[in-house]
Formats: sequence, structure tokens, C-alpha cells
Amino acid sequence: MILTFKLPRSRRGQTEMIGLVVIVILITLGMLFAAQFALKEKPQKKIFTRKGLSYSTMSTIMKTTVYEDNCKGDFKIKVNPQIGKDLLEDCAGNFDYAPTGYSLYECRNQHSCVFLEEFITGLLNDTLGSWNKHYEFTAVLIQASEDEPTKLFDPPITDSKSGGCQRKERDSSGLFPIHTSAGLVQAELFLCD
Amino acid sequence: MNKKRSTKRTKLLKFSKEKSAQIKMTETIAVLFIFFVLVLFGIIFYYQYQKVSLVEKQQELVAARAMDTTLKVLFLPELICTKGEAEPEDNCFDMMKLRNVNKTFKEYLTRYYFNLFSYSRIYVTEVYPGNSTFILYDKETPPRENGNRSWTHREPTFFVVALKDELKGTAVSEYGLGYVVVEVYS
Repeated sequence: MILTFKLPRSRRGQTEMIGLVVIVILITLGMLFAAQFALKEKPQKKIFTRKGLSYSTMSTIMKTTVYEDNCKGDFKIKVNPQIGKDLLEDCAGNFDYAPTGYSLYECRNQHSCVFLEEFITGLLNDTLGSWNKHYEFTAVLIQASEDEPTKLFDPPITDSKSGGCQRKERDSSGLFPIHTSAGLVQAELFLCD
Repeated sequence: MNKKRSTKRTKLLKFSKEKSAQIKMTETIAVLFIFFVLVLFGIIFYYQYQKVSLVEKQQELVAARAMDTTLKVLFLPELICTKGEAEPEDNCFDMMKLRNVNKTFKEYLTRYYFNLFSYSRIYVTEVYPGNSTFILYDKETPPRENGNRSWTHREPTFFVVALKDELKGTAVSEYGLGYVVVEVYS
């Protein structure tokens, strides 16, 4: 009599245990599945393209030679200025006289800072802008380590749609430093989604 | 009288036992049904996920191929800026090479360049100072039997490059700005 009462009870316990185990297995499977989604790697191409593209764009812009009217400034020899080596340096050196005062180069009859802003905007629009990439180009002049850096382009040069890469997932070209007589100029380009 | 009552009790007990067995059976069937419905949902969900992830994987592979091809193009000795034995300049194409490379590409397309670039289209567009376009390589996937094109997607990768022009006639190297586009057919 005792046996007949004990057997069904233990069997019921076993069944409930199996049920619990099944539930635990199902929950574990679900969590594994969710983890697979959550830990999915970011697409490699996107990162590579953004990093590589920002660096290549920046290095190319810095090298670009400008062929515009009155670009030769006071020089008598026939040398067209480069953006990084000549114009950005001139902009930093004569930043206090911008936008209408003196600068060594006066491409399109403009102060070098004004011209650079217009010219770089045009170049970036024709390349990154036409591929619907969002960007932000900044250049600062550091005169002394304790000084607040002076922004050569304020606000920074951005695409017309996004208004920069603030508070967005972005990749940088890295800093492009140029030593000038006025101080250290650091230019950087950000690319974002 | 007692015997009759006992028979009735036995019958009742048997009936209730049968009924409880039936209820248990129905319960088991319901549990099994729900279980299989859940399993079916799982299978459908997994199938859909696999379908999407397969397409994603395919796109990823094409993107990786585009990436590889772009890197090959950027460091191609036939295009990259060089100066004697000095290090080649990265992200820079020599305009003099660029103007003439199409001939070489066409001549050695099947023998050499197809192994490098496979089915793809590569061109360089000058943005500043000029606006010319140089198509370097274009090999589409072979068309279908009915003559229609066999590719459905073209994955483009863009890179901005400096275009060095030694023909400008000045003592220092002058650079224009352009971009290279690598489109991979899939």
C-alpha cells in the first residue's frame, strides 16, 4: 500500500524535473541566439572604407596644388601653392587679418583662410558629398601649449545635410600636423554614417 | 443490497478512472501540440534568419572582394607615384601612367589582370583641376544564354587619390585631386 502511494509521487517529481530541464534548455538556446545577434561583428568593409577613405581624402587634400587666379601672391617665380604646405600655413600666419585683410596668397582675390574654406568645401562636396558620406573637416592653430587652440574654420567645414559628425559613430583621418611660423596647425577629417 | 451497492461503486470508480485518464490524455495531447507549434515557430524563424544571413554573407563576400580589389589597385605599380628607387607615395596615381595604362590593361587582360581583378570595373575620375575620367578595366560577368546580363549587383568602393602630374613643367611636383572607383560585379 505504501509502495503504490510512493511510486506515482516520485514519478510526478521526475516529470516535473524533466519539464524544468526542458524550459532551462529552451531559455539557454534563446539566450545564445540573442547573444549571437548582439555580438555580431560590425561589417569590416564599412570600418575599413571609413578609415581608409578619411585618411586618403585628407592626405590628398593636403597635397593638392591650387591653380587659381592671383594665387602666386608676391612671388615672382611660377609656383602654384599647395593646400597643406602653403595655403594652410599662410592662413595660420595671417589669421588675425582674416577675412578681408592681408595674406600672402590671394587666390580668387580672397584671404587665404576664406579661400581655403570655400575651396575645401567644394572639393569635399564633389567627392564625399556626392557619395552621400557625412564629414567634418577641422583645423586648429596651437600657438603655446597652455593656450586654447584657435579654430581656423569656425564652424568646421561639414556636409550640408548632417551638420558634422558630433555625437555620431565616426572615424578620423588622424591628425595632420604642419609646423608654421605662427605655431602648430593640426588638421583632421572625420567621416561618419 | 450491499452487493448491488458495491457493484455500483466499482462501476463509478471505473468510470471516474477512465474519465481522468481521458483528461490526462487530452492534456498530454494539448501540451504536445503546443510544444510542436513552438518547435514549428522556431524552425520557421530559423529558416527566415538563415535566408537573410545567407544574403548578408553573400554581400559581405562581395564587399570583401571589392575591398581586396581596391587595395590591389591603390598599390598597383602601373599606377602608383614613384620616383626612382624612393618609396612609392601612397594614395597617389601618376597621371603619365594613368593616361597610358589602359593599353597595357587591355593587352594583358586575360593573361594577367583578370586574375587580379576578376569581374569588376575600375575607373579614375579627376575632380581638380580637370574633370576627365579614365576607365582602366571593365570586365562584366559573361551574359546569360538569352543574352541578358548575368550580374544583379555592383558593389562600389571609392577612394580619393592625389593625381601627380609631371607634365605641368614646374620644378616641384604638382598634384591634382581625383578618386578611384572599384565596382565588383556579383
